[in-house]
Amino acid sequence: MDELTREFLIEAQEGLDRMERCLTELEEHPQDGELLADIFRSVHTIKGTTGFLGYSRLESLSHAGENLLGMLRDGKLIVNADMISALLELMDGLRVILQSIEEVGHEGQGRDRAMIQRLHALQFGETAIEASKPTEREKQTVQESLPYEPAASQAQTPSQSQAAVDSTLRVDIDLLNRMMNLVGELVLTRNQILQANNADAGFTLLARRLDMVTADLREAVMKARMQPVSHVFSKFPRLVRDLSQQLNKRVRLQMEGQETELDKSLLEAIKDPLTHSVRNSIDHGIEVPQVREAAGKDPEGLLKLRAYQEGSHVIVEVTDDGGGISVERIRDKAIERKLITAQKAMQLGERELLQLIFLPGFSTAEKVTNVSGRGVGMDVVRTNVEKIGGKVEIDSRPGKGTTLRLRIPLTLAIIPALIVRSRKQDFALPQGALFELVHLTAEQIRTQIEWLENAPLYRLRGRLLPLVFLHKLLEQTEDAEDGAGCYIAVLNADGRRFGLVVDGLADREEIVVKPLSAVLKKIGLFSGATVMGNGEMALILDPGAIAARAAISLTTDEEEAQADGANLDTGEAEFLLVEAGAVEAALPLGDILRIERIPCSAIERIGRTPVLRFEGTLLPLEDFSGILEPQLDADAEITVVVCRDGERHVGITVSQVLDVAAGALLAEAGTDSVVAGVTLLKERVTSVVNLSRIPALPPSLVDPIMLMEVAG
Amino acid sequence: MTAGLETKIEAGKAAAPTEDVIEMCSVLVGETIFGIPIMSILEILGTPATQTVPLAPPYIGGLVHYRGEVLTVVSLRSLLGIPGHSRPPDLLVFEGTGEYFGLQVDAVGEVMTVSPRDFEVNPSTLDDRRKSLFAGTYKLNDALLVMLDPARLDPMQLAQ
Repeated sequence: MDELTREFLIEAQEGLDRMERCLTELEEHPQDGELLADIFRSVHTIKGTTGFLGYSRLESLSHAGENLLGMLRDGKLIVNADMISALLELMDGLRVILQSIEEVGHEGQGRDRAMIQRLHALQFGETAIEASKPTEREKQTVQESLPYEPAASQAQTPSQSQAAVDSTLRVDIDLLNRMMNLVGELVLTRNQILQANNADAGFTLLARRLDMVTADLREAVMKARMQPVSHVFSKFPRLVRDLSQQLNKRVRLQMEGQETELDKSLLEAIKDPLTHSVRNSIDHGIEVPQVREAAGKDPEGLLKLRAYQEGSHVIVEVTDDGGGISVERIRDKAIERKLITAQKAMQLGERELLQLIFLPGFSTAEKVTNVSGRGVGMDVVRTNVEKIGGKVEIDSRPGKGTTLRLRIPLTLAIIPALIVRSRKQDFALPQGALFELVHLTAEQIRTQIEWLENAPLYRLRGRLLPLVFLHKLLEQTEDAEDGAGCYIAVLNADGRRFGLVVDGLADREEIVVKPLSAVLKKIGLFSGATVMGNGEMALILDPGAIAARAAISLTTDEEEAQADGANLDTGEAEFLLVEAGAVEAALPLGDILRIERIPCSAIERIGRTPVLRFEGTLLPLEDFSGILEPQLDADAEITVVVCRDGERHVGITVSQVLDVAAGALLAEAGTDSVVAGVTLLKERVTSVVNLSRIPALPPSLVDPIMLMEVAG
Repeated sequence: MTAGLETKIEAGKAAAPTEDVIEMCSVLVGETIFGIPIMSILEILGTPATQTVPLAPPYIGGLVHYRGEVLTVVSLRSLLGIPGHSRPPDLLVFEGTGEYFGLQVDAVGEVMTVSPRDFEVNPSTLDDRRKSLFAGTYKLNDALLVMLDPARLDPMQLAQ
């Protein structure tokens, strides 16, 4: 049974249940207009949906009922007992058919004519003849129509699977929200208990158990709030069809990943942005067939909706193969609408210009159409998505098409964050925006932070990174401790790249976001507050707002935009070139989380796998060149590059880090197929370390309780 | 609720003196005793850990974790422009418009009963700020009890 039918069944059953209640009540209050309206609605809904799903018996029956109820509702008829019993029988009839659909997938056979006639007679008998008594003929039809016999086939098929209606339950969204809040509280309490550091082994064990149960419970409650994106996607075929007809375009809609699930409230929140984006794609993106043919494209445009999960985000993409966005036109429009000055526009790179379409009041439509072009749109899309902690990315190639990517967090309430310290106060920095961390000693602060007039800058791998000192931004007047170093958190907030300078780092934590009161929201730099594991509170920093406040512009460097564009074209990627023993190897830069120097004594072994205890977890180490093999001094230090491999983190032992460079892909001679595992780096063929080939630790070792035993 | 109380006070004044007594929780800030209708107080907390909020308006005392919510706390001392800090302040919790909020006071005193007969409106010599914050005064035998209306101390209200 498909999703639509299942939903219809549930809805119809509920409608009938309501109808039953109302009908019995109606007997006592025949004049109650509200009750009548309610019953009418139930039947009307069933009729509407059945017509659509092609259940003709249901449709004709409910249609007859609807007619009678319409007269009653409009006060043209007065309810009497006959009508109520007829309506109750109608209801039973509908129930039987619904049951048949649920069990055998079709409406089954049955005679509805008598029932329909009876309803018809009641409807007209009343208006024609004043008398409310049913005539003899009518009485007879009543008998004919009774009893409703279930279709023969269904009696023989006992329902094997659990009935859809019985296995689901509608739950008030408020209740779910409350449960989510309570789970949030439980997570906080758990964090506090885990940090309580009790010496009693029994307690620790219990705490671990609590930890796991809490995690499971959280997942279950979150699951309860999940709905497949098909709930939103399902309305697009119609929309696309209507729009393309209206605009004389030919559009084929392709949808992927409809089963991807997303929190209900988030799903609601992306409904409008998605609709906007789809409208935009059809109106502005896809060209009319003639233009497409002239450009050598399929006259039928392709609009692709795709949803998939990526880590803790769900990505929803709207891709069209239309004309793409002309950067020049955006610039001209933006100047024309006085959104930016011509002078400023000259300084902007392509990527920045593309971002201009997110400005309020921007629209490039030549004329205002029914569909779009009223200057509301992309800014609304961005605002709505950012409101739920998501991001919007746009990618467009003139002549090729446009991809709009909505990056939506899986859940609203709990986010991973890094706790940073500024002048003895803790703040939570959402991990989503965090790219890397750089530690500077007091000495390095003096020598490596450069000043361009009043603007502090740091050379990160040869590129200047604008810095924002958190304590200055927050006007914290205390002095830093003497001789203290600092950390630069390299952030990328909505395409703005900058380094946030903080005094220290504490733990990574999964934090529960608590909203701030309006007064504090107005400060504009904090997106909420949270209670940390140690029971203290921390304000959650909003990287985007900080960037805006510090006037960090969108990645200003034209060069970088071009470099990125080039990467997209040729599949080039940046690599970290490392030396391990006698071997040189490349690590994909995008996967590198950080580079640590650790004493050899910190490395432990499980079986033959070297592991490193890393932020409370076990990090499997890959020692591909065998530099760990000759038993090194316990004091000797080695370098570990911590990389991301899908969900897990792995460490690569290297002797030294050499350089960062762009690597080109190589094709095997005579073929177009790319050789995996090597790259052309600085004119030399270098092998790329395959992170996924690093063996996972046995699952039992990852279990927290076991971990305790191994580690402790 | 407090609005209701006020009208009750008004009514009490207009009609013959009745024995309607109002229970006030007395709190101390600086040298002044303030009274807050006891029914409007949700809870009195000792001195919970308070997180300061950089860049917040000066009258914001910080944030306090209260039953799963994050309370915005108003410092009555700062609000009245009384410099310095007393010992760690006590905290009262109120229900504001839409959300709870906290009020820091130097100390919470005893519960007093006052009679509407002893009520007087704000003296005209008070500065505007205080006039807007105070809801009037009750004459006690040996002191004055300044009535506070929690609705006027709601951070949402203060922000406007």
